[in-house]
Amino acid sequence: MRNPIGWAALTVFALAFFVFIYAPLFVIIGYSFNSNPVNMMVWDHFTFDWYRGLLGLADRSQDGAAQNRALYIESTDQMLAALRTSLTVAAFTTTISTVIGTATAIALARYRFRLKGVYNGFLMLPMMMPDIVLGIGLLIFFVTIGMNLSMLTIIIGHCTFLTSYVFIIVQARMAGLDPALEEASADLGASEWVTLRKVLLPQLAPGILGGALLAFVISMDDLVITYFVAGTGDTTLPVFIFGMIRRGVKPEINAIATLIILASVVIAATGLWLRSRKTD
Amino acid sequence: MALLEIRAARRVFVTPEGGRVAALDGVDLDVGANEFVTLLGPSGCGKTTLLRSISGFEALNGGSIALDGADLSKLPPFRRPVNTVFQSYALFGHMSVARNVGYALEVRGVAKGQREAKVAEALEKVGLDGMGARRPSQLSGGQRQRVALARSIIAEPRLLLLDEPLSALDRNLRQQMQLELKALQARLGIAFVFVTHDQEEALTMSDRIVVMRAGKIEQIGPPRDIYRRPKNRFVADFIGETNLFDLTVERIEGSEARARTPEGVELVLPSQGLVAGQAVTAVLRPADFTLAAAGLAGTVTRAVYLGQDLHLFVQPAGGGAEIRVTARDGAAAPSAGDAVHLAHDPAAVHVLEAA
Repeated sequence: MRNPIGWAALTVFALAFFVFIYAPLFVIIGYSFNSNPVNMMVWDHFTFDWYRGLLGLADRSQDGAAQNRALYIESTDQMLAALRTSLTVAAFTTTISTVIGTATAIALARYRFRLKGVYNGFLMLPMMMPDIVLGIGLLIFFVTIGMNLSMLTIIIGHCTFLTSYVFIIVQARMAGLDPALEEASADLGASEWVTLRKVLLPQLAPGILGGALLAFVISMDDLVITYFVAGTGDTTLPVFIFGMIRRGVKPEINAIATLIILASVVIAATGLWLRSRKTD
Repeated sequence: MALLEIRAARRVFVTPEGGRVAALDGVDLDVGANEFVTLLGPSGCGKTTLLRSISGFEALNGGSIALDGADLSKLPPFRRPVNTVFQSYALFGHMSVARNVGYALEVRGVAKGQREAKVAEALEKVGLDGMGARRPSQLSGGQRQRVALARSIIAEPRLLLLDEPLSALDRNLRQQMQLELKALQARLGIAFVFVTHDQEEALTMSDRIVVMRAGKIEQIGPPRDIYRRPKNRFVADFIGETNLFDLTVERIEGSEARARTPEGVELVLPSQGLVAGQAVTAVLRPADFTLAAAGLAGTVTRAVYLGQDLHLFVQPAGGGAEIRVTARDGAAAPSAGDAVHLAHDPAAVHVLEAA
């Protein structure tokens, strides 16, 4: 039997929880359409100016005021370059950490070797480690071995901890897999390589895709570690935004944030859809 | 020469505590070219290990396995010309039924057209024509079982290994599949090695039953032999319901011998090979006893209704273990507390040397 008072309390609690989580996002989305350039908390009127400014279209506007507002963003080109850097880093990082993480998960699940437990523990460690410690450690390491900070060091830095994320997600999928599937494939005449290609990887695909999406999103989002290991010429989007905010919160930030939220929702929805597809 | 020849097979496992357990302890077995052989035993007896060492998923520590005279032990599983039906079916969920069934041909590089014809043929053999486009997840348990079967026979192996393939099916379907499997084996003309812990399944299907215990073979023989003439107490106990009597032979009277348990239960045995004073163990199945006007006196302690039959537990008047008796149910059928007399045909008694 449901207790009506308890049920009402739970409902209120659940609603409050969602408001708490999502209100900041909706505030930012709202502000991104507010034309007030001085105080974003005072509603002026609806505008796309900040989005136009981001895309470098504002100066074509006939409105002089809009041109002034466009000055708030220092350079559309700089922001697009940062976005390009972020996407490049995320693409390489996702590929590398997905391959290594998946291979490791398969190896740890299927083969027996000495010190397996220790190995497993070390794989979890980068996830537990505070970002700031990992960032400083990587910076000191790169300087010690005489490696110049560049996009390459960002990619290496991201791979160190994202491999662990992919590993854990693929390992969970691997643990739920019937070992008889691989045996059946071998029994029917498939070599280990053919079994990997035709049975194991397709069976693990939802886990691998999930891990890759997570790695991509975290890589795009990372500020702390990137801040330490990025070269001067290689600014990622989070580092760029962080730089902008330090010189004052400007309306364009809201537009950037809204676009990032939109991209995240698309990626997350894709991930959920891929996971929900039945494989057995 | 037999199709499959296993000689002195040994396999030792190291337990987590560091001990050593022989899962196979000197196993010799021949399987003929068109024979249905069942490996039967309690869990842990080594039957699955034996099956997996034929398919190549377990390596032997000693002994040899040869198929058609060619040594298998150096070959990895994917090069062995035998196929397996797995207990969990192990169907590939990301493939259609047709692609599952054609997998063995696909990995051998058989052309698509040829493959499709063979797949259709294999699906027909197991009664699943037209199901090829479905996914395994859309099939019932019994249908999945048939897909696994079709997949394992498509490459035309000389020997098919089956690892408790019916254990996940309900009773009716299992009994139907038992008959179908036996018929399929006869039709295909290939050898089946079938692992089970279900003695009824073994009796129904097998040409020969191999009873195993603790890594060793206890007895090999046709089902009737195993049931009627078990070699020892373990086989007698494991296969079907059994009454075992430890007796001392009192006197020989022509073709019959009178023998008595320490509690005074008297039985008549075939006298062949017995001498007075000898200690023996007699095996009598529940159906070997009949209710009679005179004979072994006892009291029914429990009567279990089984439909057509009644299963009676009879406490002999002289004491000793309860005797299990199968009786026809009916108006005259006894119930708990009734006094009864049991008779038996001396020829039906199987005599073991006393352990």
